[in-house]
Amino acid sequence: MTGRFSKATGTSVIGGAEQHPSRSMRTVFLLVALVGALLALVPLWLGSSRVMMGVAVLGLAFACYVIAFNLIFGSTGQLFLCVGALAGIGGYGGAILADTVGVPVAVAIALATVGASLTGGLLSWIAVRRSLGVIFTGIVTLIFSLTFENLLLGLGTLTGGESGFLISAGAGTFIRGQIPPYYLMLAMVLSFVIVHGLLRRSHFGWAFRALRDDEVAAELAGVDVARYRVYAAMIGAAMLGLAGATYAFAEGRISPTTFGFAQLDVTVIVMLAFGGIGTLFGPVLGAATFTFLDEVLIDFGRLRLVAYGTLIIALFLWMPRGVIPTVGDLFRRRRNRRQPGSSRGHSTSGPADDPPPLASTEP
Amino acid sequence: MTASILDGIVLGFQFGLLAAGLTLVYGLGGVLHLAYGQMAVISAMVVLFTLDAGVPVVPAVGIGLIAGGLLGLILDLTILRPVYRLQGEARVLLSLLLTLGVAFVVDGFLNWRYPLVGLSLHVGGGPVELLGVPMRRGSLVASGVTLASFLMLFGFLRGTALGRAVRSVIEDEEGARLVGIDPRRMLRIILVMSGVLAAIVAVTRSMVAPVTVTAGFSITVFALIVTVVGGLGSVSGALLAGIILGVVNSIAASYIGTFLSLIILLAAAALTIVLRPAGLLGVRE
Repeated sequence: MTGRFSKATGTSVIGGAEQHPSRSMRTVFLLVALVGALLALVPLWLGSSRVMMGVAVLGLAFACYVIAFNLIFGSTGQLFLCVGALAGIGGYGGAILADTVGVPVAVAIALATVGASLTGGLLSWIAVRRSLGVIFTGIVTLIFSLTFENLLLGLGTLTGGESGFLISAGAGTFIRGQIPPYYLMLAMVLSFVIVHGLLRRSHFGWAFRALRDDEVAAELAGVDVARYRVYAAMIGAAMLGLAGATYAFAEGRISPTTFGFAQLDVTVIVMLAFGGIGTLFGPVLGAATFTFLDEVLIDFGRLRLVAYGTLIIALFLWMPRGVIPTVGDLFRRRRNRRQPGSSRGHSTSGPADDPPPLASTEP
Repeated sequence: MTASILDGIVLGFQFGLLAAGLTLVYGLGGVLHLAYGQMAVISAMVVLFTLDAGVPVVPAVGIGLIAGGLLGLILDLTILRPVYRLQGEARVLLSLLLTLGVAFVVDGFLNWRYPLVGLSLHVGGGPVELLGVPMRRGSLVASGVTLASFLMLFGFLRGTALGRAVRSVIEDEEGARLVGIDPRRMLRIILVMSGVLAAIVAVTRSMVAPVTVTAGFSITVFALIVTVVGGLGSVSGALLAGIILGVVNSIAASYIGTFLSLIILLAAAALTIVLRPAGLLGVRE
C-alpha cells in the first residue's frame, strides 16, 4: 500500500505529461517569433507608465520561472517546490556579489546562475540517489525553500532581513531603465522556450517519453533516467537563477517576498496548471493571463486570495490539463469530425476519450 | 536542560497530534490535505465567536470540535469527490492542488473579514512544579488533553472493530475490500476525525500561544514535516517524530537562538527523509 506512492521512478502519470513533438522545430521557431512579436508590442501600449512596465517585467520574469518549473516538473516529473528559493539564490547571490563584493554586474549574474544551477542539480541528485518519489521530492524541496527563507531573515547583516535592500550596482545603466529590461526579459523568455523545445527533441526528450510509455522497457533499453533528471534540474535551475538575478537588477530592490514560497512558487504552479503542464507555450500563456488578472483584481485587496483559490479549484475540476491541451483537443476533435479517417497516426488514445486529469493523451 | 526538554515534549505532543490527522488521511486515502491548518484555524474561530456570544468555555470548545468534524465531512462530500476517482500519484497531486485552493479561499476570506483576530484560552492558576521545573498550567492542561486524545485515537484504531477496519484499509486496500470493508466510508470517517483532531490542536495550542487567522499555512507545513519524518500512515510514528522534533526545536531554541533553531529543525527533518525515506516508523516496500 505504501508502495503506491513511494514508487521511485513513477513518472507514468505526472512526469509524463509531455507531448510528443508532433510540431517540427520550424513550427516552434515560427510560434516563438509570433509570440515574441506580439509581446514586443506591449511597451508601445504601456511604455509611458513606469508602474505598468514594472508589472510587465515581473510577468516576463514569471514566464521564465514557469518555463523552468515546467522543464523540471512537467518534463521529468521532479516536483521542485523551491522555484522561489532557486530564483532567490540567483537574485540575492547576484545582488550581494555585485554590491558587497564588488563584482561587475554581468559576472555577478553569471556566478549566481551557476550557483543556482549547482544547487538545483544537488537537490535532484539527492532525490534521484535516494529514490524519492514525486511527493517526497516535493517535501524535501519545500523544506529547502523554508530553510532558504529563514536564512534570508536570519542573516540580516548580509540580506537586509525582512525589508531586504536596495541594489546600488547597475544603477544608471540600461538594466535599470524603463523599457530595456522588458526586452532583455522577453529575449530570455523566448530563448528559454527554444531551449525547452530543443531539449524535447533531443535524447533527453525521447528518454522521458519512452519512460512514460513503458517504464520497464525504457530502463531495459538502457535509458539512464537518473542522469537526465539531474541534467534537467541543472538546466531548469540555471534558468531560474538567471531570471531571478536579472529581475533583481532590473527592479533595483530585493526582499524575501520577491522570492517567497507563498508569493512565487504557488503562483508558478497555478500559472503552469492554467497553461498546461508539459506544453511549450503554456507557461507563457499562464504567466501572461495571471499577470493581467492580478492587475484587474488589485482593487479587491485581500479578497484577491479568495479569487485565486476559487480559480485554482475551478481550474483543476474542469480543466485539469490546462488551457492549451484542452483547446487543442477541441480543435482536433472538430477537424477529425470534418475529415473522418484522417486522425493522426500515433495517438494512443483517441481525442474523443475522456482523459484522466493530469495525464496527457496529447498525440 | 530539563526545562527545555519538558518544553520540547509539550510542543512535541502538539506536533504529533497535528501530524496524526494528516498521516491518517494520507495513509488511508492518498490525499495530501493542504487545507489542514485552515481547518484548525476555522475551528479556533468558531470557538472564539461562540465564547464571544457568551457560551461557557467547555460547550464552546465542544462546538469547535463539532465544527472541525463538519469541515472534514464537507470536504469529503465536495472537493474530494473527483480526487477519489484517481489513483496513485495523480490522486495525491490533484488532492494537493485542490486543497491548496481551499486553503487560499479560507485564508483570503478570514484575512479580509477578521484580520488580526486570534484565539487564546487562558488557563487559570500559577505555575506547577514538575521535576524541579516550574511549568505553566496552560502547557500542562494542553499536554494532558493532547495525550488523552492520543490514547483515545490509539484505543479507537486498535480496540474497536471500526478502527481495525480503518487500519486494514491502510495496510491493504484491495484486501480490505475483499472482506467487505468499504474504503470510501472509512475515508469519510477519517476525514471527519482529522477535522476533530485539527480542532483539538487549535484549542490546545491556544492555551500556550494565540492561534491567529494567519496561522493556517504554518500549521499545515509543520504537520506535513512531522508526518513525513514519522512515516506516512503511522500514527505512532507521528507521535514519536513530533516529540523528537519538538525537543530538538526547544533545545536548539534555548541554546542557539530561535532563528537557527527553525533551520536545525528543518535540517533534521530533511536529513531523516533523505536517510530514511519511509520515515521513522513507516514501512518501505
